[in-house]
Amino acid sequence: MTHTIFKSIKLINPATNFNQKVNVVIQNETIISISKDLNLEKFNKDNQTTIYDCEGLTMSPGIFDMRVNIGKTENLKFTQVTAAESGITSMAILPNQTPKLNNPSIIDHIKRQSEDINLPKVIVYGAATKDLNGLEMSEIGLMSEMGAIGFTNGNKSIKNSLVMRRLMSYAAMINRPIIQHAEDEDLSGLSQASTTSIRGEMNEGEISTRLGLIGIPACAEVIVIERDIRLAKLTGAHYHVAHVSTRDAVNIIREAKKSGLNITCDTAPPYFSLNESKLLTYNTAFKLSPPLRSEDDRLAIIEGIQDGTIDVIASDHRARSKDTKAQPFSAASVGASGIETLFSITLDLVNKKIIDINTAISFLTINPAKILGIDTPTLEEEKIADFIVFDENEPYTIKQENLKTSPTPFDGKKIHGKILATYINGQAAFMNQTFKNKIIK
Amino acid sequence: MNKLLKNNYEVNKSSPVKLSSHHLLAIEGMQKSEIQKLLDRADYFANLDKHTDTKYLSGYVVLNVFFENSTRTRVSFELAARRLGAEVINISLINSSIKKGESLLDTASTLNAMKPDLLIVRHPHSGAPLLFAEYLSCSIINAGDGRHEHPTQALLDALTIKRRIGYLEGLKISICGDISNSRVARSNIHLLTTMGAEVRCVAPSTLMPSSLEKLGVKCFNDMKEGIKDADVVMLLRLQNERMSGTENPSEREYFNFFGLDETKLSLANPNAVIMHPGPMNRGVEIASALADDTNRSLIKTQVEMGVAIRMSIIEALNHSKNKT
Repeated sequence: MTHTIFKSIKLINPATNFNQKVNVVIQNETIISISKDLNLEKFNKDNQTTIYDCEGLTMSPGIFDMRVNIGKTENLKFTQVTAAESGITSMAILPNQTPKLNNPSIIDHIKRQSEDINLPKVIVYGAATKDLNGLEMSEIGLMSEMGAIGFTNGNKSIKNSLVMRRLMSYAAMINRPIIQHAEDEDLSGLSQASTTSIRGEMNEGEISTRLGLIGIPACAEVIVIERDIRLAKLTGAHYHVAHVSTRDAVNIIREAKKSGLNITCDTAPPYFSLNESKLLTYNTAFKLSPPLRSEDDRLAIIEGIQDGTIDVIASDHRARSKDTKAQPFSAASVGASGIETLFSITLDLVNKKIIDINTAISFLTINPAKILGIDTPTLEEEKIADFIVFDENEPYTIKQENLKTSPTPFDGKKIHGKILATYINGQAAFMNQTFKNKIIK
Repeated sequence: MNKLLKNNYEVNKSSPVKLSSHHLLAIEGMQKSEIQKLLDRADYFANLDKHTDTKYLSGYVVLNVFFENSTRTRVSFELAARRLGAEVINISLINSSIKKGESLLDTASTLNAMKPDLLIVRHPHSGAPLLFAEYLSCSIINAGDGRHEHPTQALLDALTIKRRIGYLEGLKISICGDISNSRVARSNIHLLTTMGAEVRCVAPSTLMPSSLEKLGVKCFNDMKEGIKDADVVMLLRLQNERMSGTENPSEREYFNFFGLDETKLSLANPNAVIMHPGPMNRGVEIASALADDTNRSLIKTQVEMGVAIRMSIIEALNHSKNKT
C-alpha cells in the first residue's frame, strides 16, 4: 500500500466550510484519512509511506480556472503543464483558438487530447455561433453531448439581439450557460476595424486624452449586459458575464441577482489590482480587453468581490508573443498572461484583508464549478485527491523572466503566497524544491 | 543683479541649449526654463541672415524617417539640419516596410545599424517615437505621433506668438477645431499652460476629447464664447482620415458653427492674430480671405519659424548628448 501523509497541514475546504490543522493521508487517487490525531505508527511500519512535514503550510482544493485563451504562443499540453505549476487542476478553454471549437468532433478531439491523468483537466466551451461570426447558432446541443460545458463567442461579444435571444432560449433548454464578453463593439470602434485609426484601445478618460489613444467608454460594457439581462429574463437562461471591469456593470448585475435571475459573473486579477494609469508609458503589457479601467471602477470590482456580486476570479489568460507586443500601442496585440499569477494575485486580496482566505479559495474552486455544473471540488475522506499545497506567507516578487508565458501585467509586484505542490488524482503534477525538502520519511 | 541676469541671458541666447534629455518626444513633462531657452535660441537663429554660417554640426547624420505623409514638416527639418551643416537622409516608409510586414523594431534596428546621430520620426501611432527611444542609441525627435504630440509644432507656434506679441504669459489663446484627433492641440496645450497662458479649447462635443479640462484648459462648444477677447485664435485641420464619419454632419455645417469668419473674429481682441498649423481647408476651418490677411494671419510666419526652432532643437539635442 502506498500512502502519502501531509502532516500538520492547514486544510481549507470551502465546500464544508472547513479550516483546521489536520493530517491528511492519501492512498492512490483517494483521500483516505483527515484527522487531528494521526497514528503515525501504523504508517511508519509501511515502507511505501511518504510523509511530508507541512507545518505552516496550507492545503486546499486545486484551482478551477474558468477562462483560459490558448493562443498561438502555446499548445494545450504546454498550457496544462504551466497551469499545474500554478496550482490549477481544472481549466476551461475558450472556443476562439485555432482551429475554432465550433463543432462536436473538435470538442471530442480536445477532450481526448487532454486526457492525461496527471495534468489539469480541460473543460471546453463551444462556439455559440458558427465560426464565431455572431450570426448563426452552432450545433450547441451536439457539442453539449460531447462535453462542451457552456457556449460563448470568446473574446467577441454576441451582438445581434435576436441571435442572443435564440441562443439563450436554446441553451436554457439543454441546461447550459451562455458566457458573454460584454462590449458594444460599435461604441468601442471594433466593428469598424477595417481601419486601425478609429479602433478603441484603452479606457476613455483623462489618460486616453493625454496619450492620444482612442478611448472605449466604460458604458460599452454595461449596455450589452443590460440588454442581455432582459433577454435572460425573457428566456430563463443562465447568463454569465465574463471579466467584469466597470462599476456600472457590477451594479446592474447586483440588481439582477437580487431580482432572482440566474445571472453570474467573473472578473480577472488585472481588474481588481490595476487601473488605467498603468498605461501612461504606452506599456503594451497592459493592453487588455476589456481595457484597464479607472480607479473608481477598480474599487467597484473589489466591492463586488466582497459582497458576492462577483462569483469567480478567473485568469483570463491570453498569452502573447513578445513580437506582437513590442509594437506601438495601437499596433500591439491585446491580452496578457494570467494562469501563472492567478493564485498569488487573488491571495493578495487576503493579505490586504479585503476577503478572508476561505472566500478567496471559494472564488477559485467551488464557485466556478457550481456555475458550470461540475461536481463541487471538495477535500473529504473518500474523495479524489485533487489539491494544492501552498505557503500563504512566503514573500516573493513576480518577475517576467521567471515566467513561462508573457506578458505579465504584474512584473515587479511584491506578493506573499506561493504554490509548493499540485496534486491531481493523488499524483504530484508539480512539486517545487521547497516542498521536496519537507519530506521526513 | 538684474544686469548680471541679463548678461547670462545674452550668453545663453548665443550658445546651444542644454536639455535634460537627448530626445524630444513630447512637450508634456518639459521644464518651463527649457522651453524658454529653446525659444530664445531659435529667436537668435530667426534673426540671422540666411547666409550666416551656422554649420556647427558637420559630420552629424540625421535620418528623416516618415511613416506618414508630410511636406512642410519634413522639408522644414531638412532645411534646419542642412543649415547646421548636418547630413540629412530622407526616408519615406509609408508604403515600404510596414506593408512588407517588417516590425517597427526591426526597421528601427536596421536604421540604427547605420549609426545616425539623430532620427526624426513621424508615425501614425501614438507613442511610436517612445518605442524608438527605448531601443535606439541615437537621439529621437518626435515629428508627430498619431493623436499624441507634435512638440516641434508647438514650439514654433510659441516662437511665432512671442515674436509677434512679445510674451506668452497671461495671453488668452483659443485652440479651435478637431481637438480629439490633433497632436498639435495636445502639444500646444501642454506648452502654453506651462508658459502661463490661459488656454481655451473650442470644438464640437464630438471632437472634444474626454476630460480635457484636466489638462488645465477651459472647454467650449460655442465658438463665440470660446474666442471672446482671445489674443490668439489657433485653428486646427479637420482630420477626416482619423474619423469614422460620425463626428460631423457636413463641412458646410462645420464652417457655420466652428469656421473662423469675420463675425466670429470680431468677438476676439481687436488685435487678435490667427494661426493654423496647416495644411488648411479653406472655407471649412477658416474663411479664405482671413487666411490671406497678412495683418492678422501668422500662418506663413509659422512656416518660417519652423526652420529656426528646429535648428535650436537639433543643436540642443546634440549638445545635450555630448555633455551627459
